[in-house]
Formats: sequence, structure tokens, C-alpha cells
Amino acid sequence: MSIAIRRRVQLAVLLGPVSLFLAVFFLGPLAIMMVTSFLAPGLYGGVEWTFYPHNFGRILGFADPMFEDFDPVYIAIFIRSVKIAALTVLAALIVCYPAAFCIARLSERWKNFCLFLITLPFFTSLIVRLFVWVLILRQTGLVNEMLLSTGMIARPLDLIYTDGAIILGMVYVFIPFMFMPVYGSVEKLDWTLVRASLDLGAGPIRTFWRIILPLTAPGIVGGAIIVFIPALGNFVVPAILGGAKVMMLGNLIEQQFLAARNWPFGSALAMMVMSVMLLLLLVYVFVSSRRGADAALNR
Amino acid sequence: MKIAQSLFRGSLVAYTGLFFAFIYIPLVVIAVYSFNSNPVNMMTWTGFTTEWYAQVLGFKTTVSENALYIESTGQLLQAVWNSLVIATSTTLIATVFGTAIAIGLYRFDFLGQRFYRVIMFMPMLMPDIVLGIALLIFFVNSGIHLGLMTIIIGQCTFLISYVFIVVSARLAGMDRTLENASADLGADEWTTFRRVVLPQLLPGIVGGALLAFIISMDDLVITYFIAGVDVTTLPMFIFAMLRRGIKPEINAIAVMMLTFSFVVASLGLYLRSRQK
Repeated sequence: MSIAIRRRVQLAVLLGPVSLFLAVFFLGPLAIMMVTSFLAPGLYGGVEWTFYPHNFGRILGFADPMFEDFDPVYIAIFIRSVKIAALTVLAALIVCYPAAFCIARLSERWKNFCLFLITLPFFTSLIVRLFVWVLILRQTGLVNEMLLSTGMIARPLDLIYTDGAIILGMVYVFIPFMFMPVYGSVEKLDWTLVRASLDLGAGPIRTFWRIILPLTAPGIVGGAIIVFIPALGNFVVPAILGGAKVMMLGNLIEQQFLAARNWPFGSALAMMVMSVMLLLLLVYVFVSSRRGADAALNR
Repeated sequence: MKIAQSLFRGSLVAYTGLFFAFIYIPLVVIAVYSFNSNPVNMMTWTGFTTEWYAQVLGFKTTVSENALYIESTGQLLQAVWNSLVIATSTTLIATVFGTAIAIGLYRFDFLGQRFYRVIMFMPMLMPDIVLGIALLIFFVNSGIHLGLMTIIIGQCTFLISYVFIVVSARLAGMDRTLENASADLGADEWTTFRRVVLPQLLPGIVGGALLAFIISMDDLVITYFIAGVDVTTLPMFIFAMLRRGIKPEINAIAVMMLTFSFVVASLGLYLRSRQK
């Protein structure tokens, strides 16, 4: 057997089965979801095989005139989800960025230990980590009990079932996602440039804006994207910390599938979430240099 | 200037201290209060007890009948068992598939390789709710009965990505001269792979498998959509309990899970640091 053919056979054996698996069970389902999002919802929960663009219309403003007037409630939920996800990114950045500078300057041993402590929670159950915040924030939770017993408040505060609780919960579970990329670029930061800037008379604030921030921007952008994507469509955090009051895209999609049984509309909503993700990734690949993108993908 | 600088440094260290407190104090709180005997208000300390743990594990307890919120221990154990079965199967499949792809993309140059690499990242980046409902539509339309089988298939789609990334990272850091040396010394390709490449790659494969196992045990969203009505996993069980109301037993379960995953993860990370 010639070497060329042998290598081709090897390649086929290595990649063939997996490619088939992913084509059928990953790309296939996504394609079917895309098709479903353009089908009409059936009367009793199924789908009707006619082209029906009004699933997206219900969200974007051209609802099916036969059945309903356009109701901006869905676009409002979409905007609200984007807002909550963006605030989560911002809060996570504020939490992680300064700490990254401190940890990057530690000795090798302590550095590794700190990184270990930050990644450790990632390996524990997500739902358990969220449950902890229910115990802390609810009416009879830790914070309220403490404030009540010290007499600082007369009656319990509404801490849980708010936007703030959702953001707090998401920041808590996404810390490793934000910290690692940010830390990656902070650690690589060339401090001689910072010193040069200070020596040449730029103040600390100017040095931060002109030198430190641009040099660590790739990590910030990377962290922002991998926090934003799961935050936007999240349904576990709003379900646990948002109660019934705060509706986000994730809950809305779940409702369409498991309660309202309007699968086409649910698919359309999921398509919106997916397109935001793809858009962000395109922007990221476009903005970061070709080499930067390669490095990010090869990491 | 000196004072300002040390002041700045001090506040940075304090901030980092708060950062770690934010991560760990909630976990300590839950661990401590899981021994609280107060059955009604879990955050008001009324005394030490291990009753909740006994309760969860199915031992006889002295908790008065009125205070009991019996969750069936049998159901919990069944959920744990399901999770273990699923995680073991998905880890096996995802590790073999993920490693195969990583080796394939590393050793061969072919048209569309870059594209393939990007595709391999997609399942991991895809928001889990999107993948979950896409799989649900797919399985229902193709008439596949929802159950253990669909959960295993569904989880594999994204776990392959994780294994692929971990093994790829290991491959990228590998010394290729060893392979060349082995070939020069007359070993055939298979022997070189078995005796030189595989031993070097093993920590990456084990790390990827461990990651896949932990993520599989923890997956809620995708499993939630494709589990059907008969199968419940551990995260789904807790999620359902939480939705019905907070009970002290959940506390005990949570702490046991925390302890278990901390031990496994620490062991894994420790072994990895030793192997370097």
C-alpha cells in the first residue's frame, strides 16, 4: 500500500466516525431547529409544514395578522436579557480584573495555588452553587437574618427574585470564564512599557488608559464573549434566583417547549440566541488579528 | 509617591482577598448550616445535628414526623445511579472520539482543516439551551424514545469538544523529535504511536476524560430537555427539589456533592501537576 493511500485511510479512520456522529447529532438537530423556526405552529402542539415567517415576526414586529396584533413583550424580553447579560459581563470584569493583576505578580507557587482556588468551583455542581445564594438572599436568608438581628432593618429586604440576584448568581458561576482569559493577557503584559510610560511623564491614570488597558484588551474581549454567550440564553439562574418575576430568553424558550408547546416559536427564539452568538464570534475573529485568532483557536 | 504606591498595592491585595472571600464564603456558609437542627428556618442556628445527612442517606432519624419533608431516598439514589451510568458512558465515547479528532488534526494536513477546527469549537460555545431544544426536536421528529440513550448521545456532542481541546493542548506541547528519533531507530508507525506518542499524550487524555466526566455529572440544561419522562439525573433531581421548595435535606445533599467534587478535582489537578 502506498504511503499516500495509507495516510488517507488513517485519516478516515480517525475523523470519519466522529464527523458522522457530529454531522448527525449536532449539525442535524441545528438544521432541523432552523427549519422548524420557519414552520407554522399546529393547533394542538405539533407543526404544520407551511412556510411561516411570523414566528420571527412575533418577536421583531410583523406578527401574523390573522391571529394577533404585534405585542412588543417579546422584544422587551430580548432586550432585557441582553441588558442583564451585558451587566453580568461588566460586573464579572470588575470582580476579576484587579484580582488578576494581584495574582499575576505573585511567586510561581502562590500563583498556581490561586489559579487552583479559582478553577476549583468550576468543577462543583452549578446548581449547588446557585442554591447557596438562595439560602443567602431569600426572605429568611442569611443576609436578612443578620440585618434583622442587628436591628438595621425592620422587615426583610427583597433581595432574591430581582435582576440583581440574577446578575449576582451569574457572576458567581461565570467567574472562572472571565478570570482565565483576563489573567492570560494580564500575565503577558510587558511591564517595561508601563514603566517607560511612567518615566516619560504620563500619570498613572493616563498610563492605564493608554498602555495597560489596550494591552490587556484581547483577554477582556475574550472573557466578555465567553461570559455573554451563556448568560444571554441562561435559564437555570433565572429559574432559581429570578423566581417567576424575572423573565429572560432562556425561561421563555423553556416555556414554549415544555408548557406552551409552541415549538416553532421556541425555535425562532433559540435562533435569535444562536445568531447573537455567531455574530459575536464573527466580530471577535474579525477584530482580533489573524494571528490572534489562530492563537485563540489553537489554545 | 512611595506612600501612594504602597497604598495602592495594599488595596489591590485587600481586593483580591475579598475576591476569594466572595468565592468561598458562600460555600463555607452552606457547609456550616447543613448541620443546623432548625427545620423551619435554615439560617437561624438552633443547634448541631447530623439528622439531615442521616435523612438523606436513608438512616433512621429522630426528626419529629411533623418536621419531616421526606424526599424519597430511593429516588435520590436512582438519580445518582443514572448520572453515574450516563457520565461513564459519555466519558468513554467522548474521550475516544475527542482524542481521535485531536490526533487526526494534529498529524495530518488536509483541505478544510482550519474550518474543521472551528467546527470542533462550536458545540462547546453553543448556548446549552439552543443545543438542548435542537436535540429535543431532532429526537422527537426521528421517533427516538427519550431516555438514557438520548441523554448519552446529546451530552457526547459537546463533551467531544472539551476532550478535543484538552488533548490538542497536550499535543501542541509535545516534543516531535522523539517521534522522529523512534522512526529513525526503525520503529514502525504503530509502534511509535504506542510506545512514544501515547505515553506522552496520556495525561492529556486522562485530564480530558476527567473534565468530561465532571461536566457530564453536572449537566442540567441539555439533559433536562432530552431526558423524557422516565429518567432523572442528580442535577435534575435537585433542580426539581428546589422548584418545589427549600428543605434542609437539600443542604446536606449539596454539601456532600461539594465535598465529592472538591476531592475529585483536587486529586485530578494534583496528579496533573505531579506529571509535569
